[in-house]
Amino acid sequence: MKGKSVYKIPNGKLIKINLEYDDETNKIINICINGDFFAYPEEAIEIIEKELIHTNLIKEELEDKISFIIENKNFEFIGLNPEGLVKGIMMCIK
Amino acid sequence: MKEEWRYIVTKGLNASKNMAIDRAVLVANSENKVPVTVRFYTWDPPAISIGYFQSLNEEIDLEKCKELGVEYVRRITGGGAVFHEKELTYSIVISENHPEIPKNILDSYGRICGAVIKGLKNIGISSNYAPINDIITNGKKISGNAQTRKLKTVLQHGTVLMDVDVEKMFSLLLVPNEKIKDKMISDVKKRVTSINQCLGEYISFDNVSSAMKKGFEEEFKVNLVSGNLTKYEILLADKFEKEYFKNEKWNKKR
Repeated sequence: MKGKSVYKIPNGKLIKINLEYDDETNKIINICINGDFFAYPEEAIEIIEKELIHTNLIKEELEDKISFIIENKNFEFIGLNPEGLVKGIMMCIK
Repeated sequence: MKEEWRYIVTKGLNASKNMAIDRAVLVANSENKVPVTVRFYTWDPPAISIGYFQSLNEEIDLEKCKELGVEYVRRITGGGAVFHEKELTYSIVISENHPEIPKNILDSYGRICGAVIKGLKNIGISSNYAPINDIITNGKKISGNAQTRKLKTVLQHGTVLMDVDVEKMFSLLLVPNEKIKDKMISDVKKRVTSINQCLGEYISFDNVSSAMKKGFEEEFKVNLVSGNLTKYEILLADKFEKEYFKNEKWNKKR
């Protein structure tokens, strides 16, 4: 299944997510996180996109995983946060 | 004795060259080959730059760009799509360990925007920094800014709008919903302004750039000394232009 979302993060930027997922296993197959936010370093988003593949589409699990990557790798977001990102991802699911 | 920074003005360069030069200066500065550099530039032909994380096909009407002779390029900085036509664009390249640059990224946006704010004041426009990355006057945006940090070096570039053609801008940008396009145009007209609009008169690029130069000197208490790109930077810029900014693979990578 494929899904798409556009979500304006409160006090932040606009994110546009393209999601491909397996609706039987409820896992992410592919994800692309676009938008007018800032991430330091910029490679952070590509790394998160890769790490999210095969992750279950469960809010808490996604949030934990994204927060862990950010903390572990010392990434910094401006205009974007894990909660907003997860909300955008979950909005892609039909 | 005030610190001396290099000051470069380039006019008439196109989108890919401009973005390649910003990156080349960043690399050269990170290798201690060139001093802190402030560059002011224009875009010829006019162009749309998109943020690093934006999808080219989702943001820009490529056919319309072709029709109107507008170029497009993906920046190495995040942020949104910008139509560069009648504006002064600045870029500053400085080590992230420079004592004048706050370690906190948002604070450093504010600090560098401080130079633009002082520059605007020098032509009679009072403005202030509106986080995350805007400068506003009377509640309207007059400057947008974007920063990246690579190789322990800060590159911030931004626009100072001299004039703005919202209709033309919207004819080039894709909007999620065509039905609300007119509403979006009137909203943006209310939210965006320019030097010409604020002052009710035309101010030349050279006048704006000398006001901005002074603004940077005042904010950072330095002397900006006119200089040129080095041979090394020119070679690097040529290389980056081919590898990235003129390359469809880069521009269409998201």
